[in-house]
Order: sequence, then structure tokens, then C-alpha cells
Amino acid sequence: MAITGLGPHGERASAPERVLLLPEDMARARASGFRVAIVLHTTASDWAKQQLSGIVGTLGNCGVAVIEVVDCAFTPEVQIEALDRLISEAPDAIISLPVANSKVAAAHARVAAAGIRLVLLDNAPTGLLPGKDYISLVSADNFGLGKIAAEGLSPHVPHGAEVGVLGYDADFFATNEREIAFVKWMQVNRPDLNLRVQRFSTLADAGPATRALLGAHPDLAGLFVVWDTPAIAAIEALHALDRRIPMVTADLGHDAAIALAAHEPLVAIAAQQPFRQGETAASIVVSTLLDRLPPAWIALPGLAVTSANVVECFQTVWRMPAPREVLQKLSLVRATT
Amino acid sequence: MASVEADIRPRRKGRPSVSETAAPSLVDILNLVRTGRATTRQEIERQSELGRAVVADRLGTLGELGLVDESELGAATGGRAPRLVRFAADRGRILVATLDQTALGVGIADLAGSLLMEHHEATELTQPAPALAERLVTLFRWILERQANPPLYGISISVPGAVPDGGEVLFQRATPAVLPSWESFPLVETLVAAFDAPVWLRSSVETMTMGELHAGAGDGHRTMLFVKVGKRIGAGLASNGELFRGAQGAVGLIGSVPVTAGGQSGTLEAMAGSDHIAQEGRLAAERGLSPALADHLRRGSPVTALEVAHAAQMGDAAAIDILSQSGRLIGQVVATLANMLNPELIVLSGSIAQTNDILLASTREAIYGACHPLVSRDLRVIRSQMGSSSGLVGAAIVAAEGLFAPSLLRDWIMAGRPQAHPLFQQLKARIADRSPFEENAVRPPDM
Repeated sequence: MAITGLGPHGERASAPERVLLLPEDMARARASGFRVAIVLHTTASDWAKQQLSGIVGTLGNCGVAVIEVVDCAFTPEVQIEALDRLISEAPDAIISLPVANSKVAAAHARVAAAGIRLVLLDNAPTGLLPGKDYISLVSADNFGLGKIAAEGLSPHVPHGAEVGVLGYDADFFATNEREIAFVKWMQVNRPDLNLRVQRFSTLADAGPATRALLGAHPDLAGLFVVWDTPAIAAIEALHALDRRIPMVTADLGHDAAIALAAHEPLVAIAAQQPFRQGETAASIVVSTLLDRLPPAWIALPGLAVTSANVVECFQTVWRMPAPREVLQKLSLVRATT
Repeated sequence: MASVEADIRPRRKGRPSVSETAAPSLVDILNLVRTGRATTRQEIERQSELGRAVVADRLGTLGELGLVDESELGAATGGRAPRLVRFAADRGRILVATLDQTALGVGIADLAGSLLMEHHEATELTQPAPALAERLVTLFRWILERQANPPLYGISISVPGAVPDGGEVLFQRATPAVLPSWESFPLVETLVAAFDAPVWLRSSVETMTMGELHAGAGDGHRTMLFVKVGKRIGAGLASNGELFRGAQGAVGLIGSVPVTAGGQSGTLEAMAGSDHIAQEGRLAAERGLSPALADHLRRGSPVTALEVAHAAQMGDAAAIDILSQSGRLIGQVVATLANMLNPELIVLSGSIAQTNDILLASTREAIYGACHPLVSRDLRVIRSQMGSSSGLVGAAIVAAEGLFAPSLLRDWIMAGRPQAHPLFQQLKARIADRSPFEENAVRPPDM
């Protein structure tokens, strides 16, 4: 599937195959004894766990030692402290997911200045430049995810209807791109629809934001939420209001998969591939440590998931069987009594 | 232009009003602070040669206008610590955009030109101008929704061709004919009507030159030659800290200079640009002359100029030859410019120049070899420190420098916002008065 978005500085996307490791690359890496540290926004979510296992497994295949995995708990101060501490450990490379934009930019710049190769996940703080401040960024094609979501919702909303967009009120590359792409696709392909945008600034605010959106526009006939956790909160808020409208979101989380299998209220999901993203990040690290030049931005295409393919997509994304509730909803197993 | 100024300035009789006498010193003081030449009241007094009371009064005014901030203390050098006078870059915002053949980039910056947010998306420049302009307006609106405060001071756009506006430094007062397909579309008027802020247009090489001069390798230099090497090859000149724009705004189109190498003749772009490098690389891979590029083909990836650059960096002999040849040709042309202009610094930009030492080395060799000893004595030839954001950053700098240029600033500073400038008011009135008949005649009459 083609990548539709551009990178944080307008880079053209490169495919993960660009950092394909050949057996001779792995042999060279094994002989070199590299050390790598990983700094994540959290290690608690399924998404983070999958990504981490992709990174650690691939590095293991190449004989690269992971010396530390830091859980920043979404806190910029923790990330800054961790990066500064890791710089003194002098690993060969650091893989980091910046938890904020300008707040953590300087700490990330210090990593490159110390001669440590920096590979970024998901977003690049404004002002950091590839080649100078970091080697490469790996992310989902977030623009593509927004587009997939729009395509998935469109057949479910009648002509001339109002459609809600529940966006994230923070300057985050990933969520910005999804929102811009969703709105753009609708404006180009469904000019008959009226889009109503509301934003939430914290997860706890997602439910109230949904109620505010419905209060201001009671006739909403569709809703896009920028990722699955707030989407679940929005579903609960709608349930409490006794409203049923078709919804789409990004990321195939556990609860979202169940709601999608029921085909109500979720009708489509644009899914990221965290395990593959982790594998790709590790391949970039090995490539750069072997002095090959990785592209500035590698993007992984999103998967368009509906109730028809939710089981196999769940397996692709999470490398585990779909939840029992999903299988039951699709009559693939007998319902428990 | 002269007649316009005569129109907007009533004849002065008798004693000048306070605003007229204060404006020049406000402009001087603000620019001393903004450019970092003075950071305390004492330094302002020394540099501006104004008395203590006048400086205190003007700083009071600038503080009320929100343009300077005196809340921080500096380091004491014996006695009380001086109060620092800083430019309040957060007082306003500048919307910026870069339009090139295949992509549209947008962002927002503070008044010092620092980018706060950016977004890029694929687009086709060949699509109808109204559709592209509508997309630009939509994205600008989206950014303003997210960053509503502080108020908008200006809009600056980097376009793929020269901006033939007679080398204007003021904001655009009509849409110049930048691209053939845009000739009949009032881009500037559309943006002014939508956002109520002055608009600057500059070529992409011009904005990148400004970005590099202020935020990249040129920081602290006054005379810099900037050379962008890609599919197209172009140059920009910063002279005495300012962008040199020539008679028509068409400076640095060096890609069309004819060159000769290996018995072949062609333009510099065709003989040394990235298309040529990629083509030579593919030939070398297919003929088995380059093991590194052949390995690349084996991995199933196309050979682009970047791959050739990287193979050269890894020591592949054929790739080194290709890049050395390009570098020599570029260096020969740039040396001629350097002999004429005597720059302090020559910056090579573009992804090949920035990821590769071979092209830089051979360009350098050709420049130093062909320059007069006086010209090359302290001349440095380096690669860009900015990468692809330099267009957006440079666009922001163009607007910031324009907004605070004394010739423009003196006519809005007393009002505290650039929208109060009489020429801008006049432009808005003209847009508002535009009859349906005139709407189709896109380029308003010359002033």
C-alpha cells in the first residue's frame, strides 16, 4: 500500500524494506558487540509492548545488547533525565519516542551531539533535523491512517449529514496528521458533509468533549476519534446519552476490536503495525551502526480493518489470537452461556 | 510608489506631533534589541546615542506595545544586576508556507523566525491555482485554530520560481507573476482578504538563503553565497546581512550557465544536477563498474542520486568519480561568482551536498583553485546545517525582517500592529472595492 503522507520536514516516505538486513549485515553486527538503549513513552500499553518486542527481538538476532529500557510514563522531565543519564553510559545508539515537542527537543539534540546515534519513533520534535540531530524517524503513515478512517466512515453517513471529528488538543505529529488527512479526504470526496471539530486535551476529557460535541450538534451522523482509547471513552459517553452513530478510529486495541466485531458503533479502524515498526527501528539502528545511511523517514502503511477482516488483522498487528469476545461476535466460536 | 506615499502622508505643517518624533527612535531601539546588539538600557544608550530619559520613555512605549520585555535580570558586573531588555518574539505570529513542484509545507513561527509547528503534504503544483490556494487557506486556518494566540503579524510564502516584483522589500501589494499557471490568480489578495495580514513572496532559493543566514551555518555572517544543488541548481546572495534581490528579484539562476566536461556541453543543471548523478550511477551499476550500487540494485531499491552519494562516501570508485565531476563543474561556476562578490562563506545545500563529503570536497577544490588569492584567503566553503526546514524558517525570517525593516516599521509602530500600516490599509480598501469586473483582471494596475 502506498504511503500518502510526508515526513515531519516534508521528507518522502521510504519503505521498511529500505533497511532490510542481509545475513552478512547480521554477521557483521554480531561481530561488533553494539550496545543500545531504548526510551519509550510507556511500557504499559499493548502497543508499546509489541513495539518493544519487535525492537528487542530483532536486535537480539543481530547480537546487539539492549542495556536499558526506560518507561517515561508520558512525562517530559523523566525523559530528559533518562536521556542525560544514558548519554553518560555512552551506548552506540538510543531509540527514543519523544513524549513532547519543544520540551524534550534539547535533550534529544544532546544525544546526537554526544556522538550517539539517535533513532526516533513516532514523532520528531520541531527544530530537530534528520542527519544532524537524529538518524531517522520511524512512524506509521499517520496521514494514511486518517484517510483510511475517512474512507471507512463515508459509506455509513447519508448525504448532507453532519460528521464529528474528535481531535487531540496537543501539538503531536501523529494525531495532527490523522486529523488533517481525515478532514481533507472528506472535503475532497464528500463535500456534501458538514464537519464539526471538537478537541480534548487529556484522556479524561474525551468523554466530556464527546458530550459537548453532541450537545452543540445533536444531529451528528458519524464520528472520527484520533485514536482508540478516547474512542472507547466516546462510545461510553454516547451510550450514556443513548445515542448510536457509526464511528471510526485509528489503532486496533482490545476493546476497539470487540466494538468493531459487533459492527456497532465502530464500523472501521485504521490500524498501525507496532511489531513491524519495532523491527524496522531495530533494523535502522543496525544499518546505521554498520555505517549504511538509512532514509530520514520510514513509514509503515496502515491496515484498513472492518468486521470482515478483524480477526486476521488482530493477529497480524498483535501476533496473538483475537480476543474471545471478537470470535464470539463473529460466530467463530460457540458463545459461552 | 512615490505618488502613493504622497497620497497617504498629509502635508506636515507646524510642530510635528509626538508620534512623528518618537517613531524613529522607537524603530532604532526596537531593532537594537531585536537583533541582540543591545541587551541592557546602558547598551541601548551607548549604541543609539539617545539620552537616558528618551531611552526610558521609548522602552516604556515598547513595553506597552508588548514588543519588548524587561522582566529578567542580567549578570551583575559589580553593583546592581542590570535589567535585561529582550525582544518579545511571542508578541505575534507569522504563518509560513513552502510551495514546490510536488509538496506543500505550512507552519507557524514567532517573530524571531523560530518554527513552532510544521506540516507537509504531497500536492501537484500543476493543479489549478484556486484549488491550491484553497488548500493553503484551509491549512492556515487549521494552524490558527490550534495556535490562536498571539495575533497574526504576517504571512510569508516560498515559491518555486523567481518573484519578479522589482526586488521589493515591503510586503506584496499585488500578486506578481510567479508561475505561468498562476498568472491569472490573485494569491496575495486572497490571503490578505482571508487573514488580514501583510504577505511576502520569495523564491525557494531566497528563503533557504535567509534560513541559512539566520538559523544555520551563516549565523553571525554578513556576506554569504548559498548554493542549492538538486535537480535544479540555484544560488542566493546575502549581502551586508540582507538578501540581495537584483533588479527583478531573479538573482542566482546559475543552473542555466553552459559548462563543458569530457567533450560534452550542456547547462550546469543538466551536467551536474541530481538527475545527472542518478543517471550516471545507474549506468555504473549496470556496467558492473560500481559494486556498491550493483549491491543496491540487488536489494531491489532504485538507484537515486542519494544512493550514489552514499556509495561514494563508502569509497566506491565509480560513485566518487561521478560526484567529483559534478562538484568540479559546480565549483567552476561558483568560483566566478566568488571572484565577483567576495563572500565570507559559501554554503552548499541539498540532500546530496549535505550527506556527502566528496561533492563538497571537489566543489571546494575547484573554487579555491580558481579564486583570486585575496578572495580565497579567509573564504570558507561548508555544507548547510539546516536541511529541508530551511525553506519554512527562511520564509519566517523574510517576514520578520520585512516587518521590522525601518522603512516599514516606522509607519506601524505607534499603532503596535503591522495591519495599521497605511499601505496595507490601502491594499485592503482596494480589495474590498474590487468590482466583479476587476476580479477577473487578476493583476491590479501597477502603482
